[in-house]
Amino acid sequence: MTILQSLVGYYERLEGEGAVPPVGYSSEKISFALVLAASGDVEDVIDLRAQGTKRPEPKVLVVPASFKRPGTASNPFFLWDKTSYVLGVVDAAKKTSAKDPLQDHRAFVEWHLEMLSEADDEGLQALLAFLRRWDPARYPELRHADEMLDQNVVFMFRSGGAPGFLHDRPAARRIWANRVASSNGEQGICLVTGETGPVARLHPAIKGVPGAQTSGASFVSFNLDAFTSYGKEQGANAPVSERAAHAYATALNTLLSKTRGIDAKGRPHYANRVQIGDATTVFWAEAEEDAGAAERMMSWALDPSPTSEDEEALIRTVLQKIEVGRPFADPDELGRTLDPETRFYILGLSPNAARLSVRFYLQTTLGDLARRLGEHYRDLRIEPHAWTLPPALWRLLRETAAQGELDNVSPVLSGELARAIVTGRRYPRSLLSLTLIRIRADGEINDVRAAIVRACLARDYRQGFEQEDVPVSLDPGETNPGYRLGRLFAILEKAQRAALGDVNAGIRDKYFSSASANPARVFPLLLRGAQDHLGKIRSSGKGGLAHWFDQAIGEAMAGLPAGKPFPATLSMADQGRFVVGYYHQRSARTATGESDDATATLTDEA
Amino acid sequence: MSYGVALHVWGERACFTRPEMKVERVSYDVMTPSAARGILEAIHWKPAIRWVVDRIHVLKPVRFESIRRNEVGHRISEVSVARAMKARSTEGLALAVEDDRQQRAATVLKDVAYVIEAHFEMVPGRIGPEDSEGKHLDMFRRRATKGQCFHRPCLGVREFAADFALVEGDLPSPHPTLLEDPWRDRDLGLMLLDIDFANGRRPKFFRAHLRNGVVSVPRLDAPEVRG
Repeated sequence: MTILQSLVGYYERLEGEGAVPPVGYSSEKISFALVLAASGDVEDVIDLRAQGTKRPEPKVLVVPASFKRPGTASNPFFLWDKTSYVLGVVDAAKKTSAKDPLQDHRAFVEWHLEMLSEADDEGLQALLAFLRRWDPARYPELRHADEMLDQNVVFMFRSGGAPGFLHDRPAARRIWANRVASSNGEQGICLVTGETGPVARLHPAIKGVPGAQTSGASFVSFNLDAFTSYGKEQGANAPVSERAAHAYATALNTLLSKTRGIDAKGRPHYANRVQIGDATTVFWAEAEEDAGAAERMMSWALDPSPTSEDEEALIRTVLQKIEVGRPFADPDELGRTLDPETRFYILGLSPNAARLSVRFYLQTTLGDLARRLGEHYRDLRIEPHAWTLPPALWRLLRETAAQGELDNVSPVLSGELARAIVTGRRYPRSLLSLTLIRIRADGEINDVRAAIVRACLARDYRQGFEQEDVPVSLDPGETNPGYRLGRLFAILEKAQRAALGDVNAGIRDKYFSSASANPARVFPLLLRGAQDHLGKIRSSGKGGLAHWFDQAIGEAMAGLPAGKPFPATLSMADQGRFVVGYYHQRSARTATGESDDATATLTDEA
Repeated sequence: MSYGVALHVWGERACFTRPEMKVERVSYDVMTPSAARGILEAIHWKPAIRWVVDRIHVLKPVRFESIRRNEVGHRISEVSVARAMKARSTEGLALAVEDDRQQRAATVLKDVAYVIEAHFEMVPGRIGPEDSEGKHLDMFRRRATKGQCFHRPCLGVREFAADFALVEGDLPSPHPTLLEDPWRDRDLGLMLLDIDFANGRRPKFFRAHLRNGVVSVPRLDAPEVRG
């Protein structure tokens, strides 16, 4: 199914649950409500925002749909808008354009007078009265005047009992429904549904993708003429019916918003969304029942970030089941049986100014996905490791980026990695090379980096692209020269530390990258240096330790060709094995009983 | 069909752009009939014939990859070209790439191969005394065998050149991993069939199904074609 088709399908599921606004309406963040008296006076201003968090969060209300307002023309929304439209006030500090400050308000008034000209509902009458008598100069008299500036405002009206929203009144809904029905565009075929109907000229905005414009970006748009074809304009380049456009946009906006999920502490959180590199990734399931449970599992698998200890234990059990490839035979920990045939969609979006681009779009089933994730976790396995839950995608990506900043992650890599994990194909080639580059650049070899390197090699071996496997934990019998030399390097480093203690620039800082790339140039030098270190250890009275190092060096070198032990160069894959061998040997206990320091510090970090 | 042909085409990458995802491009899963027609026309076309694509065989698993490219945001308008022609000067006709760059992401297909089965029809009113079906069929075969083309055929976009070979006898067999792939049978959704150039350049869509690795293409005037 195409992206839009499956989003429309998801909308229909939400529609069945009554969870999404109908055609002509959208969910908007509203901060304040003006309570009108029948006379048209403002009786009160109600703060609708949820308090308690650092910044009060606006309430999400279903109101007559918003639309994009390009340019400087004033286009009011129906029965709600921001204060410049509703009350004619703008934040003087933020005002930049030379636009008449009252232009928006006048448009709001004129349009509503026209729309409501025949309304006999008392609430709408009150609004008409308000619009006729309101004077923007009286704005400071309103309660919450300061906080209300530039926020979205709705109207309320009291007709006996508690005040109700004006836009919920049947009369208002009737007027709006007529308006929506009459604004039909050109007829055409809808390439989502295949039905003939009014074609959307401009598609609704998609909000909530970090990095895109806050007013929303377009998923389907033709904002420059180089993007159009065959003399078509705007939406006619890709005919989509207004209904389907509303449906996919609402579905996508819902997936991107926090409204769907409640975490362990009762706070709203993103239930269907994770960040993978620069791609904001949403996912949804298609199932008769319990699609939500399947989605929750997916969210754990993509980003295991538990909010409580109980949840962590639960996630661990689920992921361990996935890892051993036994995911859905039994009812899951939530007491439900998940159907492995449940269809799953994963859509990675990344912002490009006013547009959104599809980074990846993957379709799979829950069973398949679990199998692939299991493979991924098994490929990543390395001993010793410092994690209790398998590392999330973003943690892998962070290791490939300069300064460990997620902003520096290659945008193409993140999508390709997600694709490789979900489809079970080879990891992107750049994953191995970028990780090696980072290791060379900052000399840090932690468990995640070692795991990435091992995963690349192990998967390539499993799929026949590599001749040799790579061990999970220290394997003294492994004879690959890269692995052996990595081990040897770790031993030489330990010998240096035993002799000299912590030095400013140890052999790892100085020689790691050249040793892993061009062993023949570096190792003879290092071995000579090691003799000095061993001599120093002996002279300090630790002959046994020196002897142990001697043996360890001999043992590591035993597998190398006798005459010419050090190859001139190592291939990329063997450089990877060098890293794995180094990691394994470094973490192994030495004669002094000293275990590796780096692993210990990493555990603290995690 | 006596004048049917089969052409094996393949390439490293392909992008058969979906209309709704054509700005930040996303490819259809398989080659579209209009892209297939474009390849055939690149090899041999004359006003007297019209190519009709019958079937498209998918020979390799569908794999995607994403890339980014720099492109320009505008085109030079028809009006300014007309003005330049009138003024006999190209002044003001330039488009400076540096000032008008647009970085666009594309999700494209990787390592593709297809067999296009097609035939051509003679176009009434454009047939000259020298035109005959046999002649055009022979010309196409000869040209395809020798690798001749009017312009380099491509897989959806110009950057992704298509290699081609005339198929004589048995069709090339699909990649072995495809044979047990459940992907061989599936609904591909609505796909662009072609543009109806005679009627306001209207896009025509059809419901594409992959059956045993083959997409059967309806005729432009078939009842199931929409648009």
